[in-house]
Amino acid sequence: MSNDQDKNAEAPLDARLRERLLLARAAPGDRLMLADATLLAALDGTRPLTPGERVALQQSPLTLRRFRHLALERRSQAAPAAANDPVWSGSAGMLRAAASALALEQMVTDDGCWTLHFLQADGGWQVVLALSAEAPFAARLLREQPMLRVVDGGGAIILQGRLDADGECERAWPFDGEPAAHFQLYGAGFMVEPVSA
Amino acid sequence: MRLPGTRYQEHGWEQVRKLLGHCSLQAFRQIDLRLVLDPEQHGALLDAYTEAVAASLRAHLRTSRAEAPGNSYGDSVSELALSLLFELQAQPAFWQAFMAAMAQEHARSGAFWDNPVSDGMLRKKVNDMYVGLRDKVDADNYIVATGRDCSPNKIYTYRMLDMAYGEIARLFAAWEQHREQVGAILGRELAGLPIEVRQMKSIAGCKAEWVIRWSESLERFDGAPGPLHTRSKRFASLKNSPEKIAAMLTEIGAYEELSANLDSGEGWEGDAGEAALWLEDYWRVIGESEQQEHAPDVVDQILQAQEDAFADVLAGEPSDAAGPVELAASAAQLAKEQASAAALSLSPRYLELARAAQDAGSWTLRMLHAESLPIRLAVYHKLLGPADDSYPDAWLDPATGELPSLQQLAALDGISMPTLRKRRNEAIDKLTAANRAAA
Repeated sequence: MSNDQDKNAEAPLDARLRERLLLARAAPGDRLMLADATLLAALDGTRPLTPGERVALQQSPLTLRRFRHLALERRSQAAPAAANDPVWSGSAGMLRAAASALALEQMVTDDGCWTLHFLQADGGWQVVLALSAEAPFAARLLREQPMLRVVDGGGAIILQGRLDADGECERAWPFDGEPAAHFQLYGAGFMVEPVSA
Repeated sequence: MRLPGTRYQEHGWEQVRKLLGHCSLQAFRQIDLRLVLDPEQHGALLDAYTEAVAASLRAHLRTSRAEAPGNSYGDSVSELALSLLFELQAQPAFWQAFMAAMAQEHARSGAFWDNPVSDGMLRKKVNDMYVGLRDKVDADNYIVATGRDCSPNKIYTYRMLDMAYGEIARLFAAWEQHREQVGAILGRELAGLPIEVRQMKSIAGCKAEWVIRWSESLERFDGAPGPLHTRSKRFASLKNSPEKIAAMLTEIGAYEELSANLDSGEGWEGDAGEAALWLEDYWRVIGESEQQEHAPDVVDQILQAQEDAFADVLAGEPSDAAGPVELAASAAQLAKEQASAAALSLSPRYLELARAAQDAGSWTLRMLHAESLPIRLAVYHKLLGPADDSYPDAWLDPATGELPSLQQLAALDGISMPTLRKRRNEAIDKLTAANRAAA
């Protein structure tokens, strides 16, 4: 119902309609008003459009169509290489109530794509992040091996590294307390996310 | 011929043209062509024409002509015909020229459109309109795809060169029967198989001099002058610019090679996801520009700057202060709606359910809260067409799977068709103004 939430998260129908309103209107004598360099600089935020350029863009459906073309091209280039692979931007999980009773052995993200295993070793703990082979983005992550990070509910880093060929990443548990107690202290949640450069 | 962005330049165009001609003749039997004589009515006539032709195209959907491929990007003949029909709305100059041609003919021979003998003439005028329109649309498509300037004349020139190449290739293939003409093209006497015949594998291998000599010598072999050498001045300057011809031939060839794997071309209609993505960029860019309003003077980088053309900034902000939109309706209103819906073979609760299916946070709804639901649906009908993936099911007529027709919408609203069209167009104007002001 809010009046200001829609600008960034357009409902699909609104977006379609507004696109048509911008692009399919009659503009006699319309021509390309702005060069690609001007449009790209505005898209990159390195040089905002001047008021005159802004009006030129708003009043020229043809220039807007070029803008649309460049914007979509730019986005598809920014997206990782294989356009068909699903994009992954992070997975979250919670500590299950039942787990707290026993020594914590594992936690799974809500999407089922990641498991955190906890292994007791030499008086301390090891934590292993494992990617499920079923994850829709598994192929891409194994291929691209991005830097990954697991953070707890308080934002502290539990683990950071890249997956090995088996889709796992093992590190020493970095905190003093044991895992179950730690998660209960910090919101009972955790998050697996790519580390942006 | 394929060029970046173009849709209407391949062999399928002939069928698109014929289908549009055929459906236009059908449409003319349903609309009042006397309005041609009243310039005030040309806009209304275009609306009526567009609807009638669209209906006729839909009726032809299953014919073999309509289903045939219209280009190598996967658009069928009927899809291309329909999209070109809707381009008329955005390019009113072509409709105006058509109206002028019709009025001129009327001045000469009265209501010629009533006489079936004139069908050929009518078809020719329709044809002229779409032939011009397709090159304008494709010139714009080319600009959008490449960022380079283009014009209908340039598209026409590309096509002429493509045709010239086709003729030269045909002559090369049968060089033994056309020894003398091939010699004239190559500029030397032939002694046995000319190597050029084997070397020219595509339009990219066609030399500009050959095109010029082919055109120059055409009158000698065919009786009619070649396109570069007609008395009309159309391509007169081109024959002295072999480097320009060479660049255009190379461009056609390079793109045909690039697009030969049939990577689906840029479907500029796109989908809802794309619309949301680039609009997000658009609002951001506009917003960042507005915040820079008082930045130290940066020079406008407007192409071929025409200062005055952009000096007058558009009218004030749209009133965005509307209260919460009325989604409910009174009992009396419901009863009335149910009566009119039933008369239209829609579900009696059609309007009620369609109203509930509106997205209450929708920008469109907020902008058009003063309009009736049938008017809002008519706006979608015109801008997105009767069927679009983003329509809620409750908006669709179960019998067709599409939005109700304009007749149905007018009846639902208890108003006449002309009134519905008028209010719909006013609503679109309102949206356009609000949208441009980056609400």
